[in-house]
Amino acid sequence: MSPESLNALALSIRVATVATLLNALLGIPLAYVLARKRFRWRWLVDLLVTLPLILPPTVTGYYLIVLLGRRGWLGAPLYLLTGWSVAFTWYAAVIASAVMAMPLLVRTARAAIESVDRDLERAAFTLGRSEWRTVLEVTLPQARNGILAGLVLAFARALGEFGATLMLAGNIPGWTTTVPLAIYTAVQTGEASEVLVLVGALTAVSCAVIFVAGRLGTSAT
Amino acid sequence: MSARLEVVVQARLADFTLDVAWTGGEGVSVLFGPSGSGKTLTLQCLAGLFRPDAGRIVVDGRVLFDAAAGIDVAPQLRRVGYVFQGYALFPHLSVRANIAFGLRDRPPAERARRTAEVIERLGLGGLEERYPHKLSGGQKQRVALGRALAIEPAFVLLDEPLSALDLPLRRALRDELQVILKDWRVPAVLVTHDFSEAYQLGDRVIVYEAGRVRQAAPRGELLRRPASSSVARILGFRNILCGEVLEAAADRIRLAWRGQVLEASNVPRRAYLPPRETPVVFFVRPEDPRLIRKEGPPPDRDHHTNILSGSVIREVDSGVTRTLLMRLDQPGTPAQGDYDLEIEIPGFVYEVLRLDRDRRWQFSIHRGSIHLLPD
Repeated sequence: MSPESLNALALSIRVATVATLLNALLGIPLAYVLARKRFRWRWLVDLLVTLPLILPPTVTGYYLIVLLGRRGWLGAPLYLLTGWSVAFTWYAAVIASAVMAMPLLVRTARAAIESVDRDLERAAFTLGRSEWRTVLEVTLPQARNGILAGLVLAFARALGEFGATLMLAGNIPGWTTTVPLAIYTAVQTGEASEVLVLVGALTAVSCAVIFVAGRLGTSAT
Repeated sequence: MSARLEVVVQARLADFTLDVAWTGGEGVSVLFGPSGSGKTLTLQCLAGLFRPDAGRIVVDGRVLFDAAAGIDVAPQLRRVGYVFQGYALFPHLSVRANIAFGLRDRPPAERARRTAEVIERLGLGGLEERYPHKLSGGQKQRVALGRALAIEPAFVLLDEPLSALDLPLRRALRDELQVILKDWRVPAVLVTHDFSEAYQLGDRVIVYEAGRVRQAAPRGELLRRPASSSVARILGFRNILCGEVLEAAADRIRLAWRGQVLEASNVPRRAYLPPRETPVVFFVRPEDPRLIRKEGPPPDRDHHTNILSGSVIREVDSGVTRTLLMRLDQPGTPAQGDYDLEIEIPGFVYEVLRLDRDRRWQFSIHRGSIHLLPD
């Protein structure tokens, strides 16, 4: 495996891992809120979270540029204040992957939380637990398998993310070139052996993830 | 004696309105009624899991909810033990952890002592490390009760505690539940739609229908004197009939029904004295009418009142008893579809009187067996 390919693989795993952590941090609370709370703008939140699943990745990527690019709604003030822009850094790859993976986690985790018997939560309330403690001690442990499955899907999606990453992070070798982008480049430049290596590596990582997830799933019951 | 539990609750839902007021004392108050009549919603209001629009809930002088005064104690602080339908044991926690769940804020030594005490008293020793899916129905019920009682609640709420079980087990666990509730001396509110359950477990029965209380009475009084025909119907009474008053006196009331004159006892203490021609509803328990043997002397008028005659048009064999659907000889529209009265007799009487061959009978209904239902 060439140093470039190795670099791309390491970057891909790093990006997917950080994106998955970000998903866990934001997506699980979001899934809980969508599953259990009724509020005015719920439909809008639901729509925004689900949209990346439906939109072509390049369209999602375009919106991310509009939002975070050097001249974007959030990107411009950030650039003015700090002289730094998230675009074309590996953080951009993380954000793009996280946004693309979010619907998979949120939808799976939400279904898992919705299927938790509400009487279990009510029982915890009458036994003195606050809502927050109930979520930690009852709801999440009960929804654990579904949430883990959602995290695995999110990781896999983040690992394979191409379109939105290309739009926001570009394809800078050694800097933002993740494995899917490296495969594309290698095919374009006719490096057949590198293609095989990269495709094999991504397949192996994916298989490992499925295997680990399966183990986690069975030990949880 | 002042009531320990005072409940006034109004709640308006999209397709249902709950508007109830009742009181409960020592022992078990049963909320009884068809499903969808608001019983579980009432329990949720008591536990603070559902917030009523208006009303007041007081337990032993402690106000848990008072809409007018803006009091709404959080469920966490109400000290209410709740046994859920299907028990809602935490599947990922052992029996011990389930029972100790409500004791988290106590010092570790006290928590351990109290948990051990509850486990011992409920006969759960040896099951401490088991998980709920490895428990039998009876063990689950005891764990659910233990979890609720461990917090030393001011009262316990039980939502159809026996509905998840098969019939034979149900009888046994009903007895067990009764023993536990007596033994722990905790006032309880129990929801059920099974009248035999309500009658056995309840000291006081509150009859619910369509979000309202139809009657609240000690259980014996409920059976003797249902407040209305709708209560009688909810209680599963048969032979609920409509007649018309001919003459009412303090101790007797005479009515016309199906072209016959029936005489019923009035309750002198609170005599019901409607004017002539007032429509009245009354019921006759199927086991009360008596068939009159054909051999022997003609019926003695002192012994038999309200003598009627008719024939069996259909019958239902339920093993120990036979239910005869009788139609009166009197022409006219039968009172209950194609028959007038249900009469239930023991199976051996059916055999002895050869009812399989002989279908035409005279029978009497004692005046005390005609129960008037003020509507």
